[in-house]
Amino acid sequence: MILASAGNVLVWIVWLGAGFACLASGVGVVSFRNPFYSALALIGNLGSLAVLYLLLSAEFVAAAQVLVYAGAVMVMFLFVIAYVGPRMEAPWAGGPSWQSVGAVLAAGSIFLEIIVAVSLKAGGRLAHSDHVNGTFGTPGWIGRLFLTDHLLAFEITSIVLLIAAVGGVILGSHTRRAA
Amino acid sequence: MEPWWISLIKAAVIVNLVMVTFAYLTWLERKGLGRLQNRYGPNRAGPFGLLQPIADLVKLVRKEAFAPSSAIDIPYILAPIVSMFTALAAFSVIPWGSGWRIYHWNVTGEVVNVPISLLLIFALGSIGIYGFIVGGWASESKFSLLGSMRTCAQLVSYEVSLALSVLGVVILGRSLSLVDIVHRQGQTLPFVVPQFVGMLVFFFAGIAETSRAPFDLPEAEQELVAGYHTEYSGMRWGLFQTAEYVNLITLSGLMVTLFFAGWHGPWHLGPVWFLLKLLAVLFVFIWLRATLPRLRYDQLMRFGWKVLLPVATINAVVTAIVVAAT
Repeated sequence: MILASAGNVLVWIVWLGAGFACLASGVGVVSFRNPFYSALALIGNLGSLAVLYLLLSAEFVAAAQVLVYAGAVMVMFLFVIAYVGPRMEAPWAGGPSWQSVGAVLAAGSIFLEIIVAVSLKAGGRLAHSDHVNGTFGTPGWIGRLFLTDHLLAFEITSIVLLIAAVGGVILGSHTRRAA
Repeated sequence: MEPWWISLIKAAVIVNLVMVTFAYLTWLERKGLGRLQNRYGPNRAGPFGLLQPIADLVKLVRKEAFAPSSAIDIPYILAPIVSMFTALAAFSVIPWGSGWRIYHWNVTGEVVNVPISLLLIFALGSIGIYGFIVGGWASESKFSLLGSMRTCAQLVSYEVSLALSVLGVVILGRSLSLVDIVHRQGQTLPFVVPQFVGMLVFFFAGIAETSRAPFDLPEAEQELVAGYHTEYSGMRWGLFQTAEYVNLITLSGLMVTLFFAGWHGPWHLGPVWFLLKLLAVLFVFIWLRATLPRLRYDQLMRFGWKVLLPVATINAVVTAIVVAAT
């Protein structure tokens, strides 16, 4: 019993830590002037999101998040930023102030919308706990969902990604020929 | 379920075991390379030069860790630490044995058994790349930056083939957990037999992933001094070097686990078999380094994308079809 409550305290500590890291790195992404640091902050953000997924017992999603986004995708960001120029000023740094005001307003309204949507949906039962069975979040279970309930979305996403890849190749080869 | 402190003890034991393996891997490599090139290799410190790794460590620790004045402090210092941490952490999910009963606790053969341990190793590996990139970038040196760009391009390219090459094993083992995969090989046969092509792809991609000769372009001395760690010295450089060797050990351990039935073998020797197989794979890596010259950069990229990746994809598709048909 004591051990169980100690575990709960640990979960709370990890949750608070990951949530705080998530917010702090998110603020960092938009407020760093050096794009290299912004990209590093975005990696931190994706990593702390992965920790939050782990707390929701979605281990596969957490590992995929780190592997695909924090790993493969962000490496490309860093690669480009490091190539374009070390310590380059962010292109948007020192932009017009109405842009930042607009961004803050938009972020605030989305935040408000999320709160309204969640409270309408949950109806004051935010502490409602649900039982999670053993197969929840396993790779097999997620794979089955992809091939049954979410087949259409899954296939459309894959086609969109394929189009993006082909488009990237075409754009790249075009500029090379022009130069 | 074992109490948490047993996991801690096991973690400490395995980290130290991996570090000792690393230390004597450097000795084995220098000695082996020496013999393969008709030299003696290290033979001054202790009998057969066996104390050489310890002498090297003492030298590295006592050396001044200087940094370029233009280096960007925090990333410069953190980069080797990140690389080292992810390299060591990846070893925690590789099983060393079937588990033992010590006093009245059941102790499993690995530090943690997570159902997605294979993904965990790849995820840690992809985070470890940042140590190399950030280290090269924060050094503020052309050679470092070019070296880290090369590391980045090479590692990202070959990571795809590496991940695809193990899909066949995952399909046959029906699990992403290394413990389950090893158990399944114990019941049937080592997956190197049905997955020989997968093993070859994994091995080639692994050479590139650990930047070993003949794919050691990130550290091509003639072209970019020493690559991303040009501006590092002392133990900071030592951490990068350790991370590279530990990555090599982890990759070899993963190869033994995935394709050569891990700790399984006659007479139930458990960890002894694992270590013997690990050393055999590591020796092949050293042997290759002494045998083959370095590839050109475009050859490396062409081989990765136009040979390894299609072969790995076809291997995974064929395996899936065969498993689904039977």
